[in-house]
Amino acid sequence: MSQLTLKRTSGMRPVVMAALLALLLTACGGGGGDAAESEAASGGASEAAGGSEAAGGGGDYDIVLIPGVIGDEFYVSMECGARAAADEAGASLDVQGADTFDPTAQTPVLEAVIASQPDAILIAPTDRTAMQAPIQQAVDAGITVALVDTTLEDPSVAVAAVASDNVEGGRMAGDALAELMNEEGAALVINVNPGISTTDQRQEGFEEAIAQYENIEYLGTEFSNNEPAQAAQIVDATLSANPGLNGIFGTNLFSAEGAATGVRNAGPEGEDISIVGFDAGPAQVDQLESGQVQALIAQKPEEIGTQGVEQAIAALNGEEPEAEITTGFEVITQDNLEEPEMQEALYKSQC
Amino acid sequence: MSSSDSPVRDEPAAAATEDPDATGADLVIPGQERDSWLRRLTDSTALIFIALLALVTVFAVLAPGAFPSVPNIRNIFIAAASLLVISVGMTFVIISAGIDLSVGSVLVFSSVVAVKAMTAVGNEGWGVSLIGIGVALLAGLLWGLINGFLIAKAGIPPLIVTLGTLGAALGFAQIITGGINLRGVPPQLTQVLGYGRIFGIPWLVVVAAFVTAWGIIALRFTRFGRYTYAVGSNPEAARRAGINVDRHLLKIYAIVGLLSGLAGVMSLARFSNTNIAGHTTDNLQSIAAVVIGGTSLFGGIGTVFGTVVGVFIPTVLQNGFVILRVQPFWQEVAVGVVLIAAVYVDQLKRRARERL
Repeated sequence: MSQLTLKRTSGMRPVVMAALLALLLTACGGGGGDAAESEAASGGASEAAGGSEAAGGGGDYDIVLIPGVIGDEFYVSMECGARAAADEAGASLDVQGADTFDPTAQTPVLEAVIASQPDAILIAPTDRTAMQAPIQQAVDAGITVALVDTTLEDPSVAVAAVASDNVEGGRMAGDALAELMNEEGAALVINVNPGISTTDQRQEGFEEAIAQYENIEYLGTEFSNNEPAQAAQIVDATLSANPGLNGIFGTNLFSAEGAATGVRNAGPEGEDISIVGFDAGPAQVDQLESGQVQALIAQKPEEIGTQGVEQAIAALNGEEPEAEITTGFEVITQDNLEEPEMQEALYKSQC
Repeated sequence: MSSSDSPVRDEPAAAATEDPDATGADLVIPGQERDSWLRRLTDSTALIFIALLALVTVFAVLAPGAFPSVPNIRNIFIAAASLLVISVGMTFVIISAGIDLSVGSVLVFSSVVAVKAMTAVGNEGWGVSLIGIGVALLAGLLWGLINGFLIAKAGIPPLIVTLGTLGAALGFAQIITGGINLRGVPPQLTQVLGYGRIFGIPWLVVVAAFVTAWGIIALRFTRFGRYTYAVGSNPEAARRAGINVDRHLLKIYAIVGLLSGLAGVMSLARFSNTNIAGHTTDNLQSIAAVVIGGTSLFGGIGTVFGTVVGVFIPTVLQNGFVILRVQPFWQEVAVGVVLIAAVYVDQLKRRARERL
């Protein structure tokens, strides 16, 4: 029996120790990957705990970018732009986010970032009302907040809000699609979820533009929940109900991606359907090249990131930031895809 | 004679060999079975509790100004509150050797019908808020009863039944709302339950604490709890001992449904919208929490206190990693490692028990 005793205890303790060690190494290793940054974070944390903010004079600021979701090329491009601006100013940039576009997931991340006491937070709120209170918490904690891409019900809590003029982008999409449809037929919008400021504005702009074309019937908007599979199903269902469907506007990356899949699934019936997508991620560029999608309205996420960082640093330096900045678009088609300007506008999957 | 009646799992031998103070005499004395049984449970949860303490210590050392601060601790508790409420219910389910995958969908459905009800009566004031809470709890209870009935009476495996209700509940929620999130709850609900505090403790945490306290007492000190262990250990033996197993299972699934409804209310209070697209991993997160806490997926063993620890470990991990600015994907890896380690430890203990 004493031998069994030895076996049992020796079996478990190493496992538990190994697990704890793995966690410890992960914590140090992950932080050690940007060793200077994590040291600055903990050092800055203990200093800032006293309630003092980092002194002005530019540089050495600790900035955290919280995107809407991790792993989305739009936000990765934004990170690239933000990082470039931060490097130039001598500030450090960290990215923390949730893996779903969900205020329930973004809030704990935001709260933990607040606890780490950065100098500034760049955040893309995942819901214009649900994120108002958590972001207010950041401002109350003395952190400078800049809104990037999406905005809040009351954006005045932030020093700056940088976004594309999504209404204008929607208008451009409407005109581009109408042209592809030869200004007649039936058009459908596949949106994400109501309550997301950016995509709501794109829908608004599109509806404004498409109303101008008398021979185009507007079939309305369906919501894909940011799931390409759902977008594909919506296309199939709409096509069955409305065989005259010949134009689709996908208001974001996943909606456009899913729409193209749905059209492809429809086979011969889908051949005359034109699709205009928003955002120019690698998957969409592939779809553009293969002809499944006819035009992409590309935002300038890198510029959004750069401007966000610049305005935050300006505010930290005691200067007056620009409260509202809108960035523009490029319309990318198969014809102009190879031009260097257009290549620049494509979204990156890593910096 | 009495020792031969007890199932193999109740052998206190494992506790005896891990506890250096135990003697071989613990093995054969029937009267002391319950003591060693409790001690054994405490052992497995003690291990994971020590792991949590170690984690907290490591983070406090690595981020001294940030991690142990009062606002951050409070936020950790708030983040854990909703999951804890569901996981307490899930503990009972898993101890009974069942499983409930529908918790996230039931949560969403409950919050949807609650908002519909509250909007219909004015969306303002405490009376309306209480109506909303009542509707949500009722909706959760209903789905729980459906689950329990299909599992107990129709004899369909819990995995299949709750997989079905996971889809059905979410589907109904989407039908009712047209797939669009409902917004707007009475300000009383958000200001008090969502963001209000009592003696500095957030109301959300108080609610979770009450549910946890009930869970601990019910599981450990009541007949209901003992029957849960019995049904999970050996349903046939429980049935022959006179326990109405069907009715007991019905109650257990009704409870976890009710608690999912309560979690729906908590989510509404905090975020003011129904968040239909979210909560998709609530089921796996609560199962992981229960398992990390030392409850066996095969039933018959587990504690609510273990579940509490199991809920806090991933929450603390995420919070600490974000503060330390660790790349987000490492956080997922770490939680996975902890889960596997916890299950492995449980397996080793089970094999050790069965060897004797």
